[in-house]
Amino acid sequence: MELINRYIYAVTQKLPQAQRKDIEEELRGLIEDMLDERVGDTGITVQDIEAVLLELGSPRKLADQYRGTKRYLIGPEIFDSYILVLKIVMIITASVIGINFVIQVILNPVEILDHFIDLIIGLVTGLPTAFGWTTFGFAIPEMAGAYNFKELSLESEWRPSDLPPVPDEKRQIKRGEALFGIIFYSIFIVIFAFSSEYFGVWRFTDEFTGVVPFLNEQTYGTYLLFIILIFGFGVIKECLKLVFGKWTYKLAAYTLIVNLISMAGVLLMISGPEFWNPNFVMELVDAGILTTGSEAFDIVSKIWEQSTFWIFILLIIGLIWDAVDGFIRARKK
Amino acid sequence: MSDANEHLEKLMQELRRGTITIAVLSQLSEPQYGYSLVTLLSEKGVQVEPGTLYPLLRRLEKQGILDSKWDTNEARPRKYYLLSETGKEVFDLLVIEWKSIVKSLNGVIEAKGDDSNGTD
Repeated sequence: MELINRYIYAVTQKLPQAQRKDIEEELRGLIEDMLDERVGDTGITVQDIEAVLLELGSPRKLADQYRGTKRYLIGPEIFDSYILVLKIVMIITASVIGINFVIQVILNPVEILDHFIDLIIGLVTGLPTAFGWTTFGFAIPEMAGAYNFKELSLESEWRPSDLPPVPDEKRQIKRGEALFGIIFYSIFIVIFAFSSEYFGVWRFTDEFTGVVPFLNEQTYGTYLLFIILIFGFGVIKECLKLVFGKWTYKLAAYTLIVNLISMAGVLLMISGPEFWNPNFVMELVDAGILTTGSEAFDIVSKIWEQSTFWIFILLIIGLIWDAVDGFIRARKK
Repeated sequence: MSDANEHLEKLMQELRRGTITIAVLSQLSEPQYGYSLVTLLSEKGVQVEPGTLYPLLRRLEKQGILDSKWDTNEARPRKYYLLSETGKEVFDLLVIEWKSIVKSLNGVIEAKGDDSNGTD
């Protein structure tokens, strides 16, 4: 009898709580009926029980049949999206860690071994973390049954007119392009987040001796959040491109919105008087790179004064062109 | 030959899956419990494994095709299943569909020899 209990337990523990009791009683009845059928009223041996349980099949298979649906951590309906997002997240994580390593090595080549160890540790801890959180994010709604399977279901009704047109060469977004964009933005995030003090004019006298920074180091901490957010938006934009796979009005509109937010952020940031290093030109002189009164000094001062304006103009042109280009490509049939 | 048998087994599994439901429904205008259905069907030449039948009964109950009731008066408590009103309708429609499948499939199988004569 103990075998029967073990069998029933093995089946029901794989089933939802609410159904367990009912199924347990029904199964017990079934097994007893089958035993009766097999031996009548004479003594039941372990061999008989084993034979009956074998006939019923493995508990896992039986539980699967009771459940009706297979159990997934990530179901087939959302698996494609999951894999896509996972790839993006892994690429971003790996590139951030890799780029950080490269920068550290450039800045401080003597301690390359330490940097290398950091790289390995970063990869070993960072990649599984990224993998885990992505999977977690997808699995929780799956467990809660939150995905709308009517819409996502592989067998859901569809009309041939729903089929998306084969995108024109020019509407297609190359994956490499979007991935390159993601890596590009990641590089900047890493540079700004971890090594902002190296963002400037590098001084070399025989070897690297220091930096005349572009940015105001006193106020930098406040701006860092802005900077990361702006580049973060860039990453989001590239991810959207990757997900859409081709230019549509919707994507172009998203791009426009993201670009507008970035522009507003940049404008807020660089128009403030405290963003740039206020002593930049003087520090260049101190560093012996410039001498006051020389022609070069005038040119550099002028460029430095007007740089905010021109950077902003270039940025606006770039971002607007990015969005306009999207709309133009989306229009192409 | 064993190769053919292997294929046959797989195909039969698929084929049986749907027909078992019809067989089960056909017996449930009277209340039956799981194991009595197994014996009843096997007497009529329809082999159903209990491991398949019991989950099937529950599924049909959940869908509203079957009603169920526990009978605890006997020595062994048993869950009896019976066609619901919807279930009766479903069964009648299913029988019509089945007959038409049998008819057309018979037509297809028996016309097999005529293939070489071309189509018309």
